[in-house]
Amino acid sequence: SVTEIRSGFTAIKANIQARDPIRTLSILSHPHSLHKVQSSDRCCITHHLFNFYVDKVFKHCKTEDSYVNRKISSIANSFLSVKKKLRQCHEQNKCMCGQESTEKFKQILANYKELNVTSAAMKSLGELDILLDWMEKSA
Amino acid sequence: SGELYCSLPNPRNVHFESINMKNVLHWSAPEGTGDGVLYKVKYSVYGVGKWIRKPECRNINRTWCDLSSETSDYEEQYYASVKAFLDGMCSEWMETTRFNPLTDTKIDPPMVSVSSTEKSISITLTAPEKWKRSPEGESISLLQVYPGLQYNVSVLNKKTKKRWLFSISNNTLVVPWLEPGTAYCVSAQIHVPTPLLHSVFSKEYCIATLKDK
Amino acid sequence: DALLPRPQNISILSTNMKHFLTWSPVIVQGETVRYSVEFQGEYEREYANESWIPICECSLITATVCNITEDISATVAYNLRVRADIGARRSEWGSLKGFFNRITTSLTPPLMKVIADGYHLLVELEDMGPAFQFRVLYWKKGQASRIQQKVVTEVSSVVHLDTMEAGPDYCVKAQTYVEAINRSSSFSQPQCVRAQGGRSVWLV
Repeated sequence: SVTEIRSGFTAIKANIQARDPIRTLSILSHPHSLHKVQSSDRCCITHHLFNFYVDKVFKHCKTEDSYVNRKISSIANSFLSVKKKLRQCHEQNKCMCGQESTEKFKQILANYKELNVTSAAMKSLGELDILLDWMEKSA
Repeated sequence: SGELYCSLPNPRNVHFESINMKNVLHWSAPEGTGDGVLYKVKYSVYGVGKWIRKPECRNINRTWCDLSSETSDYEEQYYASVKAFLDGMCSEWMETTRFNPLTDTKIDPPMVSVSSTEKSISITLTAPEKWKRSPEGESISLLQVYPGLQYNVSVLNKKTKKRWLFSISNNTLVVPWLEPGTAYCVSAQIHVPTPLLHSVFSKEYCIATLKDK
Repeated sequence: DALLPRPQNISILSTNMKHFLTWSPVIVQGETVRYSVEFQGEYEREYANESWIPICECSLITATVCNITEDISATVAYNLRVRADIGARRSEWGSLKGFFNRITTSLTPPLMKVIADGYHLLVELEDMGPAFQFRVLYWKKGQASRIQQKVVTEVSSVVHLDTMEAGPDYCVKAQTYVEAINRSSSFSQPQCVRAQGGRSVWLV
């Protein structure tokens, strides 16, 4: 559940964010903040982002720290569990993608491609609280 | 002027201390330096390209700097950094970890007001306000910042020494059917389920039910 | 050196969201056999080249049980495996037959104590960890149709349920609810009390 993702992330937040030295680029929050996304597009953006993290991010976040790796596995498997639920919404057409969310997600992928894969993945993982804060605020 | 010779030891333990989103940067003086060290501070919004100097914290000799105003948007995250100067030498810039006002702030306990009748006590709770620039500024309750905010209320019967716990979402609680002429002490705590945050319990507010007529 | 036999009878004991992997000991006369455990979630199978993750608290242990609760922290299918070591000698991996998903954990009714304190109905519940909420039902004896419910998450001390009228018995029962797997335990046995002036009275 999202609560478990949050507690898993909190346990490794300092460790993961310390591995991201780039202050001047954010994958999720700049130039357009997630908080500016319209409510109608929230499900679609969430669906896209969960796919993004599962497909692109977690596999490139292996560290030398076994505790951190176990927490990342826990988060990744929780994402997978939530992703399956979101897929059901998508398949039942309850998760429509508007123009804005499509643009927003393109921007996120563009930000991601500005860095090499490992840096981009680690930065994305370090921004999980940005995603969770936005999801919980709009829940 | 060109950059000074930076061999001064660095400020230590640079970190934010935040209560109700009053976000104050704190640090410790460089090791082995006595009086006379001066500091300057800068901050940046995570994901935005530039560092911004804080003029009110330029050439200061204290080891804190209030950045509440600069970090008041809790939908953003921040870094801050401190540099030390002494006798023509300087230190490196020393940074905080990434600061997320929403999850990294501490929350004060609620204000508690209690009144009583012969057989009941009424409790009213007020969540603390988010820090604001000036007393005239717009008041934002932490209830608006954390919509899932709840209260845990502890009621202690001073005669029997028994303590009861109530968990409520709204801010008023009436406890009926109490013993007349008995002292009850109330304290309350704020609990935010997610992100997981909770205040300490407030101090106890004691009141006695009125005596039987 | 003959290959060590792989551990056998690998199974899971899972109760109230606490999960333990157990196996039969590998017997080698005069030797101390050590064991190591690894897990693989659905994510690792489908997205990370079927990689396995070691549990360091259960690396080279002599016990034949491992607490895997911390690592089984998502509601997906997990694979688990154990191998044996004696010095440089090492067995093949022994694997759990089939997957383990925490949704199958067995949930027991909560320990509960009902208290009447004057006209107040209170309940004390066992702290079972952050994953647990409690659904408490209470009613006036004989009026089971008018059951009332309270969901309790905070169990650090005696929880106030409601006020009672003097005279009738009030009965209470509780079940646990785990949001992460969306399942509940069965109900505890009802306990009934009665309000009487200011004194506590027990009627079970």
